Amino acid sequence: MKITPRPAPAEEICLAKVYVWELPVRLTHWLIATSIAVLAVTGFFIGNPSLVSPGQAGNQFVMGYTRLVHFYAAIVFTLSVLARITWMFVGNKYSAWDKFIPARRVRRKGLLPTFKFYSFLLRKPPGFVGHNPLAGLTYCFVFLLYLGTICTGLAMYSASAHVDSPLRFFSFLIPIFGGLQSARWIHHVIMWLLLGFAAHHVYSAVLMSTIEANATIESIFSGFKYVPREDLIFSGYRFVDRHTERGG
Amino acid sequence: MDQTPSWLVEELERRGVSRRDFLGFCGVMSTALALPTSAGAKIADAIERKEKPTLVWLEFQDCAGNTESFLRAGRPTVADIVLDTLSVDYHETIMAAAGHRAEEALAGVVADKPGGYIAVVEGSIPTGANGAYCTIGGRAAIDIAREVCGNALATIAIGTCAAFGGLPAAAPNPTGALSVADAVPGVKNLINLPACPANADNLVAVIVYYLTFNRLPPLDAYKRPLFAYGKTIHDNCERRAHYDAGQYVENWGDDGHRTGYCLYKMGCKGPVSYQNCPNVGWNEGTNWPIGCGHGCIGCAEPDFWDQMTPFYSHLAGVPGFGLHSKVDRVGIWATAGVAAAFAAHGLVQLGKRSFRERTYVKAAAPERPAAEEKGDQA
Ligand code: SF4
Ligand code: SF4
Repeated sequence: MKITPRPAPAEEICLAKVYVWELPVRLTHWLIATSIAVLAVTGFFIGNPSLVSPGQAGNQFVMGYTRLVHFYAAIVFTLSVLARITWMFVGNKYSAWDKFIPARRVRRKGLLPTFKFYSFLLRKPPGFVGHNPLAGLTYCFVFLLYLGTICTGLAMYSASAHVDSPLRFFSFLIPIFGGLQSARWIHHVIMWLLLGFAAHHVYSAVLMSTIEANATIESIFSGFKYVPREDLIFSGYRFVDRHTERGG
Repeated sequence: MDQTPSWLVEELERRGVSRRDFLGFCGVMSTALALPTSAGAKIADAIERKEKPTLVWLEFQDCAGNTESFLRAGRPTVADIVLDTLSVDYHETIMAAAGHRAEEALAGVVADKPGGYIAVVEGSIPTGANGAYCTIGGRAAIDIAREVCGNALATIAIGTCAAFGGLPAAAPNPTGALSVADAVPGVKNLINLPACPANADNLVAVIVYYLTFNRLPPLDAYKRPLFAYGKTIHDNCERRAHYDAGQYVENWGDDGHRTGYCLYKMGCKGPVSYQNCPNVGWNEGTNWPIGCGHGCIGCAEPDFWDQMTPFYSHLAGVPGFGLHSKVDRVGIWATAGVAAAFAAHGLVQLGKRSFRERTYVKAAAPERPAAEEKGDQA
């Protein structure tokens, strides 16, 4: 998908084109996004089946099919999450694990300025090309939520899996979550947390795209971001608001 | 052992139970134990030849509901006889002896047959106030349990209280109640038969299994026999077709309720509870809770009282939002709150932006080459 960046608004901007999101990152992103949408809709119905299906039970399979779709979407989701986690160790530096866990000093130092930007204390976000440190840390929690929802899901599935099914193996997770009923509760609450995250995620993407004019939104389709050259030079070494620094 | 004329055969004859009934019982047991029907003959043979096992029944912090469960059988069944004849040596509720006599009987079993008797424990074991919440003959329950269960051939924790702590151990657990497994660390051959109360048929089946095969039945991770706790209520429920079809009781007494629709939306915990109630039934197989139109409350699960309440809703509320808060309502408001907060954030951002030019200041050192491949160091 070829997307031309919006024209540089002013003569002052000097942009560089950087290939940030590789194909597996973009692919898993969209597979995860769509499967979450399907899982949330079907899961919400499974938790609160409000459709009335009259007539003989033998002629209907509303809940049955909903669960089937939920399970298939869960397979897509689980495999995509696992693929993305694997890519953290084989992909380029923007997708690496240390963008999510602020293990390095540079990332830790970037947390506060990013937070200041979001709380209007800085005008410009510190120049990180991929995920900014705060976003990365947020995604780290999101990945934990993914793992939580996958494990509670597998625990619940194992309870009713066929005796010969290898998925029975996951019944060892049931006591870890304090029983199936609390696994259910956790699974349900994680759905809401992920929906809340989705609202936040779409908003910040739009915000970054407009403020930085760096094609953040387009980048998840094309893979390319347009980054001020100065970010490429300085980021990782200083996190001062460029405007304040220059007395602006 | 095979030389003795069977105690059981004599007992059956004395009570007028025909051999045909007895073989029928063995057939039922092989079904309950999920064995092939041919196992019935083996069971009959084994029971007839076995020496009468000694059994002591301890009651601690309990309601005697499990005792009631099998004493209240409407007609004498073979199962009753097996149980009666077994549980002779000590059972506070039903034994004739009382006081010191009774305690002597118990001490006698422990002293004479160490490692040779079956201990059945009913009720949880309190540890608070140095065990003062439950004492028998001046001894704390936990001491009795450690001595009796510690020397037993096998221990059967009957009912949810003995198996998992049950009601007494529910938050805030004022007496510090423990299950047998926790109160007697390292107890040998423990079998949990949770449920409130446990089904006497499952107790009989465990004993019959032991008599037949000389070992204990296969157990799950919670030490529950797989033959009785291997499947969820939901997977054996007679209303399951309505569940899959999407036909649910919406209100007590509505058309769906009278038609026998699934009780899922009324808080049925069948999908998260293991037991064989749908197959074995209660009160000699007369009926079972869901058959009577009431959802399963998950009585045989660990932490049942804390986990499965509120009984009449699908999920518990959100802590801090009230006992009957709905997860979904909290979720909708939280998500809406997040969206609103970000919308407000966006408005502020837009407002601020219109007050100042929005441009990047040229790179501080434009002459330095900023190669694409250099990328972000962070
Ligand atoms: S009544 Fe309960 S156990 Fe039976 S199908 Fe419905 S939810 Fe499952
Ligand atoms: S149906 Fe459920 S609550 Fe009722 S006895 Fe069986 S396991 Fe316990």
